[in-house]
Amino acid sequence: MISIEGFQAAFKFWMLFRDGLICTLCLSALTVLFGFILALFVALARMSKFWPLKALATVYVEVLRATPMLVQLFIVYYVLLAGVQLPTFRLFGIIPFERFFPGVIALSLNSAAYLSEIIRSGVQSIDLGQTEAARSLGMTPVQTMRFIILPQAIKNILPAIANEFVTIIKESSICYTIGVQELMFAANSVKTAIYSMGEPAIIAACVYFCLTFPTSKIIAYFERRMRRGDKR
Amino acid sequence: MATSDKLIQVKDLCKYYNRGALHALDGVTVDVNKGDVMVVIGPSGSGKSTFLRSLNLLETPTSGSILFDGVDITKKRYKDETGKTVKLNIDIHRQKMGMVFQHFNLFPHMTILDNMTLAPIQVKHMPKAQAEEKAKGLLARVGLEDRAAAYPIQLSGGQKQRIAIVRALMMEPEVMLFDEPTSALDPEMVGEVLNVMKELAQAGMTMVVVTHEMGFAREVGNRVLFMADGKLLEQGPPEQIFGNPVHPRLKDFLSKVL
Repeated sequence: MISIEGFQAAFKFWMLFRDGLICTLCLSALTVLFGFILALFVALARMSKFWPLKALATVYVEVLRATPMLVQLFIVYYVLLAGVQLPTFRLFGIIPFERFFPGVIALSLNSAAYLSEIIRSGVQSIDLGQTEAARSLGMTPVQTMRFIILPQAIKNILPAIANEFVTIIKESSICYTIGVQELMFAANSVKTAIYSMGEPAIIAACVYFCLTFPTSKIIAYFERRMRRGDKR
Repeated sequence: MATSDKLIQVKDLCKYYNRGALHALDGVTVDVNKGDVMVVIGPSGSGKSTFLRSLNLLETPTSGSILFDGVDITKKRYKDETGKTVKLNIDIHRQKMGMVFQHFNLFPHMTILDNMTLAPIQVKHMPKAQAEEKAKGLLARVGLEDRAAAYPIQLSGGQKQRIAIVRALMMEPEVMLFDEPTSALDPEMVGEVLNVMKELAQAGMTMVVVTHEMGFAREVGNRVLFMADGKLLEQGPPEQIFGNPVHPRLKDFLSKVL
């Protein structure tokens, strides 16, 4: 059950939600950054004519898309980075790095698999004639990709990328299971203080909505602005 | 004719698809001399486009050789003037062969000026100001100097193709390859593109043109090649090809298109 009193009690712990929000924002922003850069390389590797590289990238994408995010997070935290002595300082004085860092790695690895498929579909949607025109002017494959294909591909896949960014913000909540003190962790802490989960969960939901809704709207705005160039 | 006049020497060129089930090119041997305006005609599916696209290796031939400036561009390595074996860099040879496509293939995300200056700046490391000046000169030559800042989508088909031609000319190629340059155009725009090509031929540019424009072949070409089923069946000056055809396939083809 939820009640007015419950919300009043939960709001007394507003600084927990604030710290959780900062942590969620950092998690998402870094994941978007690392995930996108990694995705670019994975996508290029998957389109490579050099088969070992292509095979490696294909295995990577298929494995990460076919296993649950939670399992990946546990493997990164309890297996891959178990033997690594991470520095134990706190980011902004609130976020414990040795838990935050594995969270960023796991989320980045996961979203890179999805983003790389989006990028690949974008690149392959560009007419082959564009490549032929660039190559017949004497441009190298790298120059062709950089100046001709990627700029057009990114524009086409912007809505799909926006979707993935929104997904990352929401998926970052899973990091609470390894003790990253993000929004969901904050909600859970408040639960133990006020003996009720309903109110903190609803507050967390509202904060997530306030993050994801504007994000998709802002990208939709940029998308419309870019489309303007397509009209006469 | 002296060897130095031969710009491209094609020998026994074959292109098979489906493990040899389809012979798109079946042993084509022909020389392109400097200053030639060679027009390739033939029914659709005859291998004309495959032949043209093989010349700058947009299609990889199954067998045969293509000597461009004396270098066999179908091999991975060749011997340079000093006799040293060097690796073939196809990008360098492609710079010397301008290509114009049926569907223009302008870069839609760039202005006309950027379309023209991108390759000279990136590939030839030409200073930006010099490239833009050169581009404006070429735009004036085709009567489009006022469209430098426009995007390709704002142009008509004929304008796009004229831009595609001058974009290729920016690299100062030794030969221009045209792959059905007027086939995707509305009829009233064909003339403006053919006029640019005609001027180019009169200026002495070596050209290989795949086209269905028999008027152009007759008037501008100095050699006409007739292809069918991947084979070069007949060649000669236009007067001979159109006035006195020998091969029954050519006679049949001309009776349908003229």
